[in-house]
Amino acid sequence: MNEKIEKLKKQYHDILIPDELDDVVAQALSSHPRKKKFYIWPSAIAAAAAIIFITTVNVSPGAANAMAKIPVLGKVVEVITFDELKQEENHSRIDVKTPSISGLENKGLQTSLNEKYIKENERLYEQFKKEMKTLQKGEKGNVAVSSGYDIITDTDDLLVVHRYVEESRASTSSVNQYDTIDKKHEVLVTLPSLFKDKRYIKVISENIKQQMKDQMKHEEGKIYWLTEEDMDPFKEIADNQSFYITKDHKLRIVFDKYKVAPGYMGNIEFEIPTGVISNLLVGKRYIH
Amino acid sequence: MKKHDAHQMLVACITEHKADFYRLAFSYVKNQEDALDIVQESIKKALISMDSIKDIQSIKSWLYKIVVRTAIDFLRKHKRLTLVNDEALEYLSSGREDQYEDIDLKQAMDQLPVKYKTIIILRFFEDLKMDEIAEIIEENVNTVKTRLYRALNLLRITMTEEDLEQ
Repeated sequence: MNEKIEKLKKQYHDILIPDELDDVVAQALSSHPRKKKFYIWPSAIAAAAAIIFITTVNVSPGAANAMAKIPVLGKVVEVITFDELKQEENHSRIDVKTPSISGLENKGLQTSLNEKYIKENERLYEQFKKEMKTLQKGEKGNVAVSSGYDIITDTDDLLVVHRYVEESRASTSSVNQYDTIDKKHEVLVTLPSLFKDKRYIKVISENIKQQMKDQMKHEEGKIYWLTEEDMDPFKEIADNQSFYITKDHKLRIVFDKYKVAPGYMGNIEFEIPTGVISNLLVGKRYIH
Repeated sequence: MKKHDAHQMLVACITEHKADFYRLAFSYVKNQEDALDIVQESIKKALISMDSIKDIQSIKSWLYKIVVRTAIDFLRKHKRLTLVNDEALEYLSSGREDQYEDIDLKQAMDQLPVKYKTIIILRFFEDLKMDEIAEIIEENVNTVKTRLYRALNLLRITMTEEDLEQ
């Protein structure tokens, strides 16, 4: 190695390490800055560890669980709980609730959505059973899977069904899906279908970045992965990014947990001001 | 990656390399108080964005990256980042060698623009590999090499290809 470099290296390593460093590091490490605990296992479930408990609830249409009932030009489009399944074993539990849409005349759309809902929850259950099988006798699974739905928007025109899946193993994950249905025209509304062309990706992404910056500036504890020093900063939305339309006809873009911010920020939503996208929209029917 | 594992690895890595992080920070800001601040800030940032660690192998480089960024940010905020223009570079590189070689060398190193200094430190003082440095400064390996040659040139150090690659 070069002599000059050796000299510089020596000088570098001669930099005195102050006694305070240990304290500063220890303090920073214990500070857990604005971060929630990773994983909490409910004690109630711990108590029920050894018990195998299975209930399956099938609710018939029109039962008390009916979630939405809005007459539209003589027809009723509603969402009910088609099936609910709960099971607990080996320190683990699954709870899946499957929605079912009825009342659409477009049976193709209705069936394909309902089948999708059933299939996805079946897959969750199969996965759970498989995991339980691989456990040794007496071993605790510590798995919790929960899936359900709610109706976010239900106006004369639109129905938005939000489904979520939360899985906790050693870490937790949360996935959200939104189906926006035009009740009058009986079609599924997708994000690209709202816009004239692909320009929306850039426009919406820029607006979101600005909102992220503003929030980080003004609100303590808000953190988004935006700057270059983050491993995987937010660059732009996917062309079929999760979204929904509120009852006030506003567009909301949704990101799952961990996608654009640390886990403690949870799922993230941004409302895009209509003014920003109005000249890109195909029409003003859904968003205005 | 399992979260508690990531956290443990992170704590272990920080504890093991805290002196390295401190020296790295110090070499930018040149005073103890600010260097300590940068170390503290970097650890906090690391804890917050821990979720984005994808590969346990790269935790160390990832931490170096945070320290480098935090230090450069600090200099920028405090306007102590002197942008060296071409003239100054010319002056640096054309200076005659005199008998106070050590002092000269140290000064040249101190005056080296941040982007060159970073590479000298990481490559020779922290003994990182070219591709690790490339990851830290988010440039490709060729850019790292070019900057390294330029940096050595400015320090008036000649090295063989072998020295650089080892």
